[in-house]
Amino acid sequence: MKVLVIEDNVELLQDIKCFLEEEGNICEIAPSYKSANDKIGFFPYDILIVDITLPDGNGLDIIRSVKKESIDLGIIIISAKNAVDDRIHGLEIGADDYLTKPFYLSELNARIKALYRRKAYQGSREIIFNEIRINPDSHEVFVHGKLLNLTKKEYDIIHFFVVNRHRLITKEAIAEHLWGDDIDMVDSYKFIYTHLANLRKKIADLKGNDYIQSIYSVGYKFTDRE
Amino acid sequence: MKLVRKTNTYYLVFLVLLFPVMIVVDYYMIQYFVNNEVEEILLHERERIEYHLDREGVLPDSNYLFKTAPAGEDFETKEEFKDIVLFEAYADKKIPYRTYSFSSTIDSQPVIISLKHVLLEINELIWLLFLSTSFIILLLVTGFYFINRKIYKWAWNPFFKNLSRLKQYGVTQKEPIELDDSKITEFEELNQVIMAMIDQGKKDFQNLKEFNENISHEIQTPLAVIRNKVVLLLESKNLDEKERERMQAVYEEINKLSKIGKSLTLISRIENQEFKRLDSVDLAVSIENILSNMEEIIDFKHIDISRDLNPTTLNCDHILADILFTNLIKNAVQHNKDGGSIKIQLNSEKFEITNSGENTELTTENLFSRFQKGSSTKESLGLGLAISQKICDIYGFRLVYDRKDEMHTFSLFFKR
Repeated sequence: MKVLVIEDNVELLQDIKCFLEEEGNICEIAPSYKSANDKIGFFPYDILIVDITLPDGNGLDIIRSVKKESIDLGIIIISAKNAVDDRIHGLEIGADDYLTKPFYLSELNARIKALYRRKAYQGSREIIFNEIRINPDSHEVFVHGKLLNLTKKEYDIIHFFVVNRHRLITKEAIAEHLWGDDIDMVDSYKFIYTHLANLRKKIADLKGNDYIQSIYSVGYKFTDRE
Repeated sequence: MKLVRKTNTYYLVFLVLLFPVMIVVDYYMIQYFVNNEVEEILLHERERIEYHLDREGVLPDSNYLFKTAPAGEDFETKEEFKDIVLFEAYADKKIPYRTYSFSSTIDSQPVIISLKHVLLEINELIWLLFLSTSFIILLLVTGFYFINRKIYKWAWNPFFKNLSRLKQYGVTQKEPIELDDSKITEFEELNQVIMAMIDQGKKDFQNLKEFNENISHEIQTPLAVIRNKVVLLLESKNLDEKERERMQAVYEEINKLSKIGKSLTLISRIENQEFKRLDSVDLAVSIENILSNMEEIIDFKHIDISRDLNPTTLNCDHILADILFTNLIKNAVQHNKDGGSIKIQLNSEKFEITNSGENTELTTENLFSRFQKGSSTKESLGLGLAISQKICDIYGFRLVYDRKDEMHTFSLFFKR
């Protein structure tokens, strides 16, 4: 998919671009309001990632102009402000999602993919990783075609993993994905650890491979590579 | 003590002290004047008598003549005034007189002539003075009292108006305060000083607030960059064990910093009253939602939850309500022990959550201040309760903490 990232911090811009390109996307960047406007008119994107506070304009205006020309693309707002007004306003004028800085790239990736699936396939496409098949609509996971019996959080974990395959996902990113950033509990890491053990066992029971690699004590990687 | 009472008391004390002084002074003054007058009359009479004696050689008729006595051998010219008391048969009482004796000659005989004039009776004088002075003082006291009250009401009126306005004012308030003008210089000066102080306080508060806001959200973008870079570094295969540990420590501290930033932003946002919506929030449903979001972690810690939730609606911003109850419930889960218990009660009066935990020495006073944390959970930032307190402040809820041994209770009273 083709993504345009509008963000005035060049370092963050590069990180996002780098991350998204490694995921196999085409990623364009725009560090200012003006360059963003130029690029939107020039090339059809699938996803727009917009920072609200830009040095030469407001990201919300970009969303408005895009929506006025009824260009059908997914829009994710990224903002450091986390102001309720901005969030509500942004969603009202047509943004699809809102992420508060600092966000985890894995979280951004999950949101982009979910949004893209909703937009491009009306959400009907399944996510497949080797013998694992995930149906995001029904929240079901199949291993070798057999239904995996999961709790809600276990589903959230494996979905997050498969979407962010081959990447290091830190414990903190998982916790934030599961509970939102309001709940930071010490117990959540222990909880994740235990539930990953359960998840491994359930997948193994259905003769699935164990793709969950523990990366030191930092986090995990869901991968079939070495 | 009110100013009017204080001044009145001083007036009264002053007048009471003045009272005997006035009597004494008056007494001597009146006596002095009366004596003077009497002496003048007597001297005048003497001149008249001497003139008569010179012309006609006999004593004239005189109302003031007391007695004449022949001067003896030891004759010498002596003049003197003297106070005497005589018993007067006609009045049946003693009457004070002032006498004046002088020497003269009648028929070439030296004589001493005494004149007398009646004086005011001392008792009567004192009594009279006492009465008149008391009367004057009474007049003064009542006069002062009423004038003072009038002044107090009229002149101090703008002062009291301004005072009651100032009582209701806080620097966090957005509308500027308006103080009544008065024509009294002192009050005007006071107003000016107060206005200057308020302006300064407001400016400082505003600066501090803006600084807080800016710092807490300006750090978020750099933090995002740092965090992403650290994750990339952690993914690298070239790090040795030590380097990896260091990077991990960096990563954890960044996360902490980011959470502090987010929490402080939230606090200043609440203080700025950015949450203005008045949703009708069904608390029982909200609480059930929060519990179900934490359900698995509650199960994971083997915490037994008992709940008694009566349907209760509250008019407040649903986001704040969610944050408030999430914080309180999260708190009860986080500070609980494995296999502990949580009891939740909700009715229209209050929300009460009791959890088992450690027997810590937490004091209510500093529990709600920022960065105050319990001993064991070093990961928590201690901002949750400060946020809860802020939310309570906005809606006038009262949050009370109580501990009985190992049971910690937070009670949230919805009405003041």
